[in-house]
Amino acid sequence: VRCQRYPPLRALQASAALRRVSDEHKKEPLTSSSQQHFDSPPAGHQPEQEPQGPRPSYTGQGGQESEDYESEEQLQHRILTAALEFVPEHGWTAEAIAEGAKTLGLSVAAAGMFHSDGSELILHFVSECNSKLSELLQKEQKLVQLGEVEKKPVDEFLRDAVEARLRMLIPYIEKWPQALSILLLPRNIPSSLNLLTSMIDDIWHYAGDQSTDFNWYTRRAVLTGIYNTTELVMMQDTSPDFEDTWRFLENRVADAMTMGNTASQVQSTGEAVVQGLMGAAVTVSN
Amino acid sequence: RGLAAGPEMHFGFQTVTEEERREKIYQVFESVAKKYDVMNDSMTLGIHRVWKDILMHKMNPSPGTLLLDVAGGTGDIAFRFINYVRSVRERQLQKKLKHHQNLSWQEIFESYQKDKFNSLGDSQVVVCDINREMLKVGKQKAQHLGYSEGLSWVLGNAEELPFDDDQFDVYTIAFGIRNVTRIDLALQEAYRVLKPGGRFLCLEFSHVSNPLVSRLYDLYSFQVIPVLGEVIAGDWKSYQYLVESIRRFPPQEELKAMIEDAGFFKVDYENLNFGIVAIHSGFKL
Repeated sequence: VRCQRYPPLRALQASAALRRVSDEHKKEPLTSSSQQHFDSPPAGHQPEQEPQGPRPSYTGQGGQESEDYESEEQLQHRILTAALEFVPEHGWTAEAIAEGAKTLGLSVAAAGMFHSDGSELILHFVSECNSKLSELLQKEQKLVQLGEVEKKPVDEFLRDAVEARLRMLIPYIEKWPQALSILLLPRNIPSSLNLLTSMIDDIWHYAGDQSTDFNWYTRRAVLTGIYNTTELVMMQDTSPDFEDTWRFLENRVADAMTMGNTASQVQSTGEAVVQGLMGAAVTVSN
Repeated sequence: RGLAAGPEMHFGFQTVTEEERREKIYQVFESVAKKYDVMNDSMTLGIHRVWKDILMHKMNPSPGTLLLDVAGGTGDIAFRFINYVRSVRERQLQKKLKHHQNLSWQEIFESYQKDKFNSLGDSQVVVCDINREMLKVGKQKAQHLGYSEGLSWVLGNAEELPFDDDQFDVYTIAFGIRNVTRIDLALQEAYRVLKPGGRFLCLEFSHVSNPLVSRLYDLYSFQVIPVLGEVIAGDWKSYQYLVESIRRFPPQEELKAMIEDAGFFKVDYENLNFGIVAIHSGFKL
């Protein structure tokens, strides 16, 4: 009964900070990846809290009336995006979030909506980067379909995709090791792993299915390994424009390709050996 | 007195009118003011300090925050706020100095000068209480403990705050909302004086659902506390009121709904000690 009473009540009360969505919709492309991120809530909030009651979600059935105002999640989204600007100075912390809230005209206390270690800020950033990568790859695919660009061979495609994704870290590279350590905290692992695997799957999806040397899980594991190791190398890299990192990446991708060839060679050699043994057995039995 | 009989309200387990309730509560705190802190320590065995520390930690205020502490009486929350903000500020300054490795002596000297007079980073706390006696005790404590900067004391009613709209970053009410006669008005006032994005925090006794703990808690409340009240403060009745008012106060979910009704978003609560105490938090979005 309470649920039904709420939507009209909310719409009537002039919200202090939630903006009318009609202004927002033109600017905010909520892609599927960012929605996915908010569906896997960071489980780290105070463990003794009772779960929130059945208030209507702003995309649920009460959605019709409350469509006029942006939801809390959208506002949080905006605050985190604004906070990214302050990360180089303050790191991935509640202070950066507080500064971000200030630029939106909100009180610094709004940073209290998020965990004090900056987890949400980092996850938000990763999710945004993944969305940007998806867009890039999609655009490229369209160009290929229109025939304007040649389709890249798999190894070059993978190299370019991973490089494009890693380059997004460059403005924040100084504080990125801190972010990585926070992403590895037990309570953040489900979310961060989820984001990582969906990004890897995305890349393979756009790379197209050509080689039959790998099966699906091996492909995922191989590319994840390449991505993670390259990321770590990038943290230590001091060469101009990270050229050492890109060379490392090139080598790893090449390794992965030859490994695939080796695997198929082993398989065909194996088949030949088996046939030889069969022949010998038949001969002996005669 | 000739006061019109208002709506029926509860004063502990008694039923009184609104006006009577306000008067009685005023008298309760007038008489307990001087022994307030001592009683808090003995009743809760000092645990109230931990609860207040947890509240401050949850708030995690950054320097520059403006706090309004309502029903702040003897200043416990205000002093903690000042300590917290001071240490955060110190850390900030240390970090800044670490970055300034290549400055000349002149520049370093100047940066010290600038920050010396800003040890709180422009943070301020306003302590508001309806009871003159409680404020008096609070001011004396502040003097005694050496708190002067960033602190002000205002006489005011939580149901009708003497402040303009959109003033404060954080509004706290610790163990005070139970004594407010019209809680809905207090929540509306809280909403009004907070800036957009501002936070409402309420620390209050609440309901224990665990049956075993509940029985022990009831035993302790009704048998031990009024006796302590008589022995230490010479005032059995006030502490009887205290214990009864805790039982009459709405439980966690109900208070959460009331806070949402006042217009706050992202309202949540955290139980401390099985629900003996709960911290409710909401944002003005």
